[in-house]
Amino acid sequence: MATFGATASANANPNKSYEVTPSPADSISSLSFSPRSDILVATSWDNQVRCWDITRSGHSVASAPKASISHDQPVLCSAWKDDGTTVFSGGCDKQAKMWPLLSGGQPTTVAMHDAPIVDMAWIPGMNLLVTGSWDKTLKYWDTRQQNPVHTQQLPDKCYSLSVRHPLLVVGTADRNLIVFNLQNPQTEFKRIVSPLKYQTRCVTAFPDQQGFLVGSVEGRVGVHHLDDSQQSKNFTFKCHRDDKEINSVNAMNFHPVHGTFATAGSDGAFHFWDKDNKQRLKAMSRCNQPITCSSFNHDGSMYAYASCYDWGKGAENHNPATAKSSIFVHIPEEIDVKPKPKVATSRR
Amino acid sequence: MGKKKKRATEKVWCYYCDREFDDEKILVQHQKAKHFKCHVCHKKLSTASGMVIHVLQVHKENVTKVPNSKEGRDSTDIEIYGMQGIPPDVLAAHYGEEEEESLAKVAKVEIPSAPLGVAVPRPYGMVYQPQQVPGAVPARPMYYPGPPMRPAGPGWPMPPPPPRPQQWYPQNPPGTAPPPPHLGYRPPQLFPVHGMGMNMPTSSPAPPGIQPSSPAMPVSQPLFPVVNSITPSQASPFSAQQLPNANATVGSANPYPPNNSFPVGGNNSHSYASGPNTSGPSIGPPPVIANKAPSSQPNEVYLVWDDEAMSMEERRMSLPKYKVHDETSQMNSINAAIDRRISESRLAGRMAF
Repeated sequence: MATFGATASANANPNKSYEVTPSPADSISSLSFSPRSDILVATSWDNQVRCWDITRSGHSVASAPKASISHDQPVLCSAWKDDGTTVFSGGCDKQAKMWPLLSGGQPTTVAMHDAPIVDMAWIPGMNLLVTGSWDKTLKYWDTRQQNPVHTQQLPDKCYSLSVRHPLLVVGTADRNLIVFNLQNPQTEFKRIVSPLKYQTRCVTAFPDQQGFLVGSVEGRVGVHHLDDSQQSKNFTFKCHRDDKEINSVNAMNFHPVHGTFATAGSDGAFHFWDKDNKQRLKAMSRCNQPITCSSFNHDGSMYAYASCYDWGKGAENHNPATAKSSIFVHIPEEIDVKPKPKVATSRR
Repeated sequence: MGKKKKRATEKVWCYYCDREFDDEKILVQHQKAKHFKCHVCHKKLSTASGMVIHVLQVHKENVTKVPNSKEGRDSTDIEIYGMQGIPPDVLAAHYGEEEEESLAKVAKVEIPSAPLGVAVPRPYGMVYQPQQVPGAVPARPMYYPGPPMRPAGPGWPMPPPPPRPQQWYPQNPPGTAPPPPHLGYRPPQLFPVHGMGMNMPTSSPAPPGIQPSSPAMPVSQPLFPVVNSITPSQASPFSAQQLPNANATVGSANPYPPNNSFPVGGNNSHSYASGPNTSGPSIGPPPVIANKAPSSQPNEVYLVWDDEAMSMEERRMSLPKYKVHDETSQMNSINAAIDRRISESRLAGRMAF
């Protein structure tokens, strides 16, 4: 389609990122790069979980679709096992499936909830999968058993969770943020009300487990430290806004090497930030569709993001016939993701 | 004589707490920050009744008094905006005092020269000169039997703040009987019309205006850009009463620390003065507060996703097309579970051997 949408594609991919094909038929709900190799998994509202082998040489990227599995209903989340052999996926069918894709095995169901599973993570230290659902529970699964090892009640529906062993943070519907120390998963370590005044959209734990980021529907991200002595370092900042609209922050990911992080929003933009120096490192151009999810690869050399409708403006603004969902892979410049300590200005 | 009362300086003042301001805009900002602010979510409304309605609809609470207001001025029924809506008698009373104050100052200057012959404790003795002065008095006799009463405002314990205004106009000279008793009241030195401060002799429990809502303050990170240290600004409303004018525009003082919108190396930072809730200078009818707090404001900045009750995915799931496979999926999962159990029991069976 050389001429197709020549201008449209300029807006659809203003950052000239590489587009991974074939693109899913419906919005992408999660993207996960393998922790060991450059295999990218995408889950979608079209019920499929797909994976691609992504190869990079210098600034050019190539992708090859490898395999896919399906669920019966839209798939909402995915997670890789830490050894990079197996992918878990869960969604509206209330199940989570384990797919040993490296070995070419078939997926099996390893978890069940009473309501859609919205987020999940693999806990390397304990070899358990934790799943969070709209049924207001977290369940921990040893994949060889049918019953959860532990079921944890949450105050409200789980919207997002993040694990950096032994830290687990869960964001729930009522703006509660619950922190667990996985060494003692049955007790809530801390429960706080989100520093952001609006609905929690995503939470991401710091790689050093000192705290977490929380993003809301009001274009704001909160940086929160767990330790009381570090509370003074907490702050929030606004992002993904423009003159008329305040967009939701849909995803946040830490760079695996530099400790900086990226946020992606409903405005179709993604930005890189340095929380320790409180700087925005790079603002990327806006795509014409919201970015729903994103992921860094294991060494931070690639950043995958999905540009598709996030339902932010309801069903009215969704036209299935023309809607396009795209997965892009961006090669961030080193300078965009390296921390930038503030240079003291000297005044005479 | 019916001398027209002429105000030397036309200062505007707040009906609720009697503080004075140079400018009506500042007065309005003060009112919004001090009297029309929701104690739960800190949203600033434009009138007291707007605030009451907001608290009722959004937080389901009944507010009966205007926060931080003086006794007798805390009714939520009265519609005040800036200087508009002030009932004429209160208006007159205020200016009456103002004049007294300025007169008091004048008197003060004159006093030293006038032989008092009375062991008057210094004060700008208006109260004490009565008999002599009448003739000497410039315009208004400094009698005001009343002055001490009023201004100090809150907690002015003077029990019968006698209808000063009335006394004021009509007879001053003759009606000076009252003064002496006032002695006990220790007339304030300088009439700080800004509500208080001095004359605290008699306690005057910290301005009654301060609602018990204060405890609620500490909570949060209002919609202001930075959350960092809310406490200082929260503390201020309390001390504000004592420090007249110290923080005229309390609410907005806080959040402009550079942290704010992550200002960034070289890239633009979006700055909207603050989140959608603190509508800028919204003059005019109070925004119609629908069912939720983040409704669109006169600024025309709006939240793309404003449904607090559910997430985008939940709304999407409610679409029939995504629910199609519900039954089949349940069956599938049951089948899968059965299969698994069967295979496990087989395994167990084998292992027994």
